[in-house]
Amino acid sequence: MKIIVAIKQVPVRDSNLRIDASGHWIDEDDLSYEINEPDAYALEEALQLKEKHGGEVVALLAGPERGSQTIREALAKGADRAIHIECDDLASLDTLGIANRLAAAIKDEKADLILTGLQSDDLGLGQTGVVLAELLGIPHATIIMQVEAASGSIKVKRELEDGWFQHVEMPLPALLTIQSGISKLRYATLMGIKKAKTKEVRRVSAGDLPQAAAATVTIERVYLPEKKKETQLIDGSPKEAAAKLVEKLKFEVRVI
Amino acid sequence: MNTATPAHALAVTLHYAEPPSFSIWEMVLLALLIVLSLVGFFARFDRVLRNIFTARKDPDFHIAPVGRRIWDFFWEVLCQAKVIKERPLPGLAHAFVFWGFLAFALVSLNHFASGFGLGFLDSDGPIGSLIDGFYFWFAAVFALLVAVSIAGLFVRRFFVRPIWLGKKVSYESGVIAFLIFALMVTYLAAFTIPSTSPMARGLWWAHALCILIFLPLIPHTKHLHLVLSPITIFLSRGEFSHIPPLEGDEDFGLVTGKDVTQLVALQAYSCVECGRCSEHCPATNTGKVLNPKEIILGVRGYLNDLGPRSEEPLLGKYNSQEAAFQCTTCGSCEYQCPVGIEHLPIIIGLRRGAVNTGAWEDDHGTKLFLALERNGNALGMSATERDKFIKKQELPIFDGSQEYCLWLGCMGAYDPQGREIIASFAKVMNYLGTSFGVLKKEKCTGDPVRRLGNDLVFQQLAEQNLEIMKQQKVTKIVTICPHCVRTIAKDWKDYGASPEVEHHSEFMARYQDKLPKTNGPEIVYHDPCYLGRYRGSYDQPREVLARSGKVIDPPRARERSFCCGAGGGLAFLGEESGERISHVRAKELAATGASIVGAACPFCNTMFRDALAATSDAPPQLLDIAQITAQSIANATTTPSNGAQNA
Ligand code: SF4
Ligand code: SF4
Repeated sequence: MKIIVAIKQVPVRDSNLRIDASGHWIDEDDLSYEINEPDAYALEEALQLKEKHGGEVVALLAGPERGSQTIREALAKGADRAIHIECDDLASLDTLGIANRLAAAIKDEKADLILTGLQSDDLGLGQTGVVLAELLGIPHATIIMQVEAASGSIKVKRELEDGWFQHVEMPLPALLTIQSGISKLRYATLMGIKKAKTKEVRRVSAGDLPQAAAATVTIERVYLPEKKKETQLIDGSPKEAAAKLVEKLKFEVRVI
Repeated sequence: MNTATPAHALAVTLHYAEPPSFSIWEMVLLALLIVLSLVGFFARFDRVLRNIFTARKDPDFHIAPVGRRIWDFFWEVLCQAKVIKERPLPGLAHAFVFWGFLAFALVSLNHFASGFGLGFLDSDGPIGSLIDGFYFWFAAVFALLVAVSIAGLFVRRFFVRPIWLGKKVSYESGVIAFLIFALMVTYLAAFTIPSTSPMARGLWWAHALCILIFLPLIPHTKHLHLVLSPITIFLSRGEFSHIPPLEGDEDFGLVTGKDVTQLVALQAYSCVECGRCSEHCPATNTGKVLNPKEIILGVRGYLNDLGPRSEEPLLGKYNSQEAAFQCTTCGSCEYQCPVGIEHLPIIIGLRRGAVNTGAWEDDHGTKLFLALERNGNALGMSATERDKFIKKQELPIFDGSQEYCLWLGCMGAYDPQGREIIASFAKVMNYLGTSFGVLKKEKCTGDPVRRLGNDLVFQQLAEQNLEIMKQQKVTKIVTICPHCVRTIAKDWKDYGASPEVEHHSEFMARYQDKLPKTNGPEIVYHDPCYLGRYRGSYDQPREVLARSGKVIDPPRARERSFCCGAGGGLAFLGEESGERISHVRAKELAATGASIVGAACPFCNTMFRDALAATSDAPPQLLDIAQITAQSIANATTTPSNGAQNA
């Protein structure tokens, strides 16, 4: 089975984010980057499928030069080769623009399965995978918890709301967006990193790919969440206070 | 040749009696037996030598400094200092046997020479002349000591049977003890008869046979240490728990026989199976699979069966992966071993082999590695938590103008107890008027991954930290964690020049005269492995504590201190099998009756916090030496009459 995993590079968690001068994106100087978390699980799922059924895992990443670090890590964990779409303009593209590039770069690969993370940690749109599937003309399923492969088809488990799951059987080729935390990630090893050095990375320049139409969605403003303190003190006897608290939790905040 | 006259023999009966001459047939027989014995010896020894010499060369072995090697040889081999110090009675018995062998070398050589009529020592020579009659008497004194010692050791091994010698009774040890004993008896008996007596010939042959049978037994028994251990001690790496650099792109640690180095092979063949390592091992003592002696014998077994060119994995049939990952890297084994075996390079080498190739699968371990990769600290917390702590404690930020960089470490930055230690130590530094600052950003030093054998993550952490050191122009670090001290001082060096580093106990000891002196309660001090055995700082923390109370030692202290169970990354690997190491130690500390347990390592602290509560109804108070000192300072400054004279 040939599996392509689309991975994205995002700022490491807990980074100190600053807004850049334009106000349209974050200041990227001094930031460290890592693999988008749901994508790490997509990669893990791909590696496990390969271990079970054989085949090939290809990592696919669109982004600037620094992305090669994340590619190297994916290769170190066990991906067989990689495709790097080199571009510096990710922030100015909309989902369709990105998906167009990804689709163009892999259209000749004839993959059996394409995996992406459910969404990205930075933008959190959760659409790239779905649009990519549409562009490639293959079926897709989202928020996948489990994948079982049979010959020519797969069975997947989708997460729905409220603890409900949906089991779907679908033909191959297909695209799945993988939920975070569905398996145990493996750790990168020294041997993996050394082997990664000899693995093939196909570099595709964004300029060589068909140009996408102008973005239909653009970022207006990026800002840090404004902090508001809304502490309410509930008075009365403990019994009364508890009753009021339950009331508020039920009807105001709606958490119970 | 000896031509004793009967008159002489009657006058001085007590001289060493040798047959006056040997027939040609005796000479032929003797020559034949010698050849047989030597062939028997070399047939087996040759394979050992080949396994050692064909093993991979140690990448960072240097013969320099020779002075240190000569000293070790003199002290540990010739003086038998370690053997005696760590097990005085059997140690002394062993030393006598050893010295006896040295004294006997000349006698034995002469013995065989005289069999061919070429004896060079004259047993009839006057007592006063050095290399003659006197020498026989000199050797006789040793013969007596050896005979008594070997008999004592025999009784110990076969009747007292300390469990550390192994459950199986080693019959070959019995045979060898008997041979040594017989060797001495045949020698001594020859003093009681005249040379002309036919008995003299019988004794002579018996003596010779003892040696000729002994020789071929050496290479395949633990008595190989006779030949190898002096070399092993001379060639030891000379640095505690040395972790050799990985060489080239194919070196991932000890994966297969091909990774076994000459030193590792030499050491594996030198083990005398004395069990000193196991006796002191916290893992072995609490029912884990790990037994350091078995690790060494496992490597030996592998070499014997497969040799150093084999591509079979080292972990599997001969050594268990589970055992390798139960080691706290406390270093008791390496410290105790009388023949210079260095266990830690081997155990950590096996772990490196398993982790660097991904063969080790452990949920806790993976979680730790991912936390260090992603968050840069072993507790997997967000770096903003560290920032908050620094702000709350109003710790000054290091900007290059201060003398010291106070390194927080993962425990100091994120662990509640560790934070208290930092806060207390900051108070002490302020009291002493030392300028210091903490770094804005700090990553784990990499200690847990270094000891667990993850070279990839360790390299990342070391390089990132060294970069911070360079940017911030840090020259002197002080820290509350002995693991950080060790890793900064030694392990970072593989990736660049690291700053000077000091443990807070060493820092405070330098200023001890300025610390308040009070007659406080009894404090039992626990030597952390990484401060004691790894660094040799035994006195400094005691001196600091002595300012605040009466320091007492638990039964196992200083070089023999018993681990808390946290080292070697084990603090992060979840529940132990068997009894908990920390509980064993906590009970021992509490049993001293001291009202305070003085700790000097945040990992020991966190282990004992739970262990003391779990093992005792009214546990002693657990405090770091910085907390104890800060408390004394606080007391002294609130009662000025007391503090003024000392401050
Ligand atoms: S270092 Fe300590 S725990 Fe590890 S084998 Fe040696 S004695 Fe046992
Ligand atoms: S390794 Fe050293 S201490 Fe352990 S049994 Fe062998 S010789 Fe004794």
